[in-house]
Amino acid sequence: MPSFTPTRRTLLKTGTAAAAFATLGPAFLRQAAAQDADLAPYKSAQIDWQQVSGESITVAVIPASYFENLIALAPQFKALTGIDVRFEKIPPAQIRQKSVIDLTSKTGTYATHAADPMYYALYAANKWVEPLDTYLADKSLTDPAWFKFDDIIPAWRSANGIDGKLYGMPYDGEVTIQVYRKDLYDAKGLKPADTLEAYMSNAAALNTPNDRVWGAALRGVAGAGQNMYIYPSIFREFGGDWMKGGKLTVNGPEAEAALAWYVDIMKKYAPTAAANWNWPDIADAFSQGTVASYIDAHSSASVINNPEKSKVIGKVAYARWPKGPSGKRTTSIWNWGFPINSALPEKKRKATWLFIQWAASAETQARTAHKFAGPTKRSGVNRTSVWKDPDYIKLMNGFGENFVEATMSALQEDTDVDWRPRVPQWPAIGDTMATAIQSALSGQATIKAALDDAQRRIEPMMRG
Amino acid sequence: MTAKRLRIIALLAISTVFLLAWAFPIVWSVLNSLKTDSDVLAYPPKLVFTPTWEAYRDVLFGSGSILPNLLSSVIISVGTTVVTMLMAVPAAYALARLRFRGKKFAGFYVLATQMLPPVGIIIPYFLVLRNIGWIDTYQGIILIYLSFSLPFAIWLLVSYFEDIPFEMEEAAYLDGASRLKTLWRIIIPQVRGGIAVTIVFVFLNAWNEFLFAVVLSGNTVRPVTVAMFNFVSVEQTLWAKLAAVSVLAMLPVVVLGVVAQKHIVKGLTVGAVKGGGRR
Repeated sequence: MPSFTPTRRTLLKTGTAAAAFATLGPAFLRQAAAQDADLAPYKSAQIDWQQVSGESITVAVIPASYFENLIALAPQFKALTGIDVRFEKIPPAQIRQKSVIDLTSKTGTYATHAADPMYYALYAANKWVEPLDTYLADKSLTDPAWFKFDDIIPAWRSANGIDGKLYGMPYDGEVTIQVYRKDLYDAKGLKPADTLEAYMSNAAALNTPNDRVWGAALRGVAGAGQNMYIYPSIFREFGGDWMKGGKLTVNGPEAEAALAWYVDIMKKYAPTAAANWNWPDIADAFSQGTVASYIDAHSSASVINNPEKSKVIGKVAYARWPKGPSGKRTTSIWNWGFPINSALPEKKRKATWLFIQWAASAETQARTAHKFAGPTKRSGVNRTSVWKDPDYIKLMNGFGENFVEATMSALQEDTDVDWRPRVPQWPAIGDTMATAIQSALSGQATIKAALDDAQRRIEPMMRG
Repeated sequence: MTAKRLRIIALLAISTVFLLAWAFPIVWSVLNSLKTDSDVLAYPPKLVFTPTWEAYRDVLFGSGSILPNLLSSVIISVGTTVVTMLMAVPAAYALARLRFRGKKFAGFYVLATQMLPPVGIIIPYFLVLRNIGWIDTYQGIILIYLSFSLPFAIWLLVSYFEDIPFEMEEAAYLDGASRLKTLWRIIIPQVRGGIAVTIVFVFLNAWNEFLFAVVLSGNTVRPVTVAMFNFVSVEQTLWAKLAAVSVLAMLPVVVLGVVAQKHIVKGLTVGAVKGGGRR
């Protein structure tokens, strides 16, 4: 087996990410399957992988390179367990809708799906998915010494838990960090911001729209996973608390100060259109050299390092979220996890668990990341041990200065489980807040009016 | 004279503005589908660039090929159109000509089905199809598409049938033709234009449908409108490929529009006897 030594060059090739897998697809999929067919690392687990051989399950995922890599390895899972997995790729905007329809109707179409961590409260309240602790504790299904559950990034584990029970196994995830143009910062003698105040003044110093360089950009477009992915971090950093006296509160002085900062930086130092931008748009703009800094997912590094379209390769560096007035850094945490659909018969639930265990295992995580034969390597692996693997670190640091350090410290120190209100009503609340934020960003409503209006709309949701 | 000329110039200017606004997305798609991803993002936007077929090659013959999706779309749209027309023509004729109990109610019912917001009925449809095992099948999607295309087609056709003068039918009966024969030989040829127009609209509605398709389709049957969305990934938007797929998805619509234009116009003007055209 040829050994894989990651270099800056291979990494740049990996930057072509999704673009490349679409073209190279079938060839490297076969190659990946053939190359890594060694099942010994899995067979050292003290369980019978073949116990429900012959079962077949359907797994819904989103079209993304990190799932493509997993799909490429599915023949290995079949060889190991005798279980057939059929993958269905559903765009992110529709996967929530389709899985909720499936879960409410108890049809058991999707044995598991790539789940939004904010939906577990809803899933658990309705008992649509199984608590995974029972599966983790069952010695016939899981070998704890082999699976090493504690190795999985704690922030993502707690994001997928409700009342101390785990409902979804993290497979791939991200945190938000500061991404900045080191060359521009150095030219002005600036350092990456340590506080939100400094972030604002850095943006002011670099904002030169006449030269088509704007100081900063944050996601502005309305959506529970768009502007409501960034605003909660600012809200918590300003000392905001979603639950005041047991009541969900979205207005108040901290909220007003947080939203004022968001509106301020977007109005003064972001391109006008950014109020309608989502993360791919920010990354596209940054890769064209028009934005000096942004705060968004660490995984966007692969887009801004894509040699096919980026003009800023080698000029990028990373830092953690700036601290807010409360002295706290709060990153936005995200992961795609796999729950088990309760509507399934027992044998299929077991098959689903075996699949989840296989996908989340350190071995599969490595095989879909730095050991993957195809061009795209994952930057969102779920295991602390992989993040400490020198081969992986070397590969990731090709994205730019301080990438691994910023990502790891954000994951370990800057996460906050109550970063967004984790209640079953989240989908509706998230949308309401997103609309309020956008109306403030676009100037349709004053900050106070937007937040008060959101509060008024949210109250009946919490009662009902 | 100058006032008239001024008016024409003003009208032309206004229509140009509207035309530009409407044509822009299409021009944008066509141009970007011929660019590389780095040209798509270039600023100022490049009007002069080396066109490349790369995006088309990728979306047609790459690993994420949309050919199966185009085929799905064709099967669904043609299937929906054929079944719809087979049922809508007799139904519309009956509503226009026959006297039967509940005719008024039936007419209202056909219209009422058009008023329901589709979003509200997706879940029941999903459950029905799920229980009979028709999720992600052609028959399932075509069945659901009939629920909106059939009332629409009937409603459209009734007005064409109503416009045919009774005298023509009476003449046929006098010559000894049966009702069915009259329908087939006399009436249908008269509403050719109307039928062509209806076919075009039913086909286009089925081709462009997204909402039902995204919920009721799966890996086996996935029309191009749904497949297109996979080019907007969580990681990045593949602009050139997305544009290429959009252009490919638009092509049949444009071709059909051009071909059917003649019929649409004819359908509006043809009259069998003097004064018998559409009122």
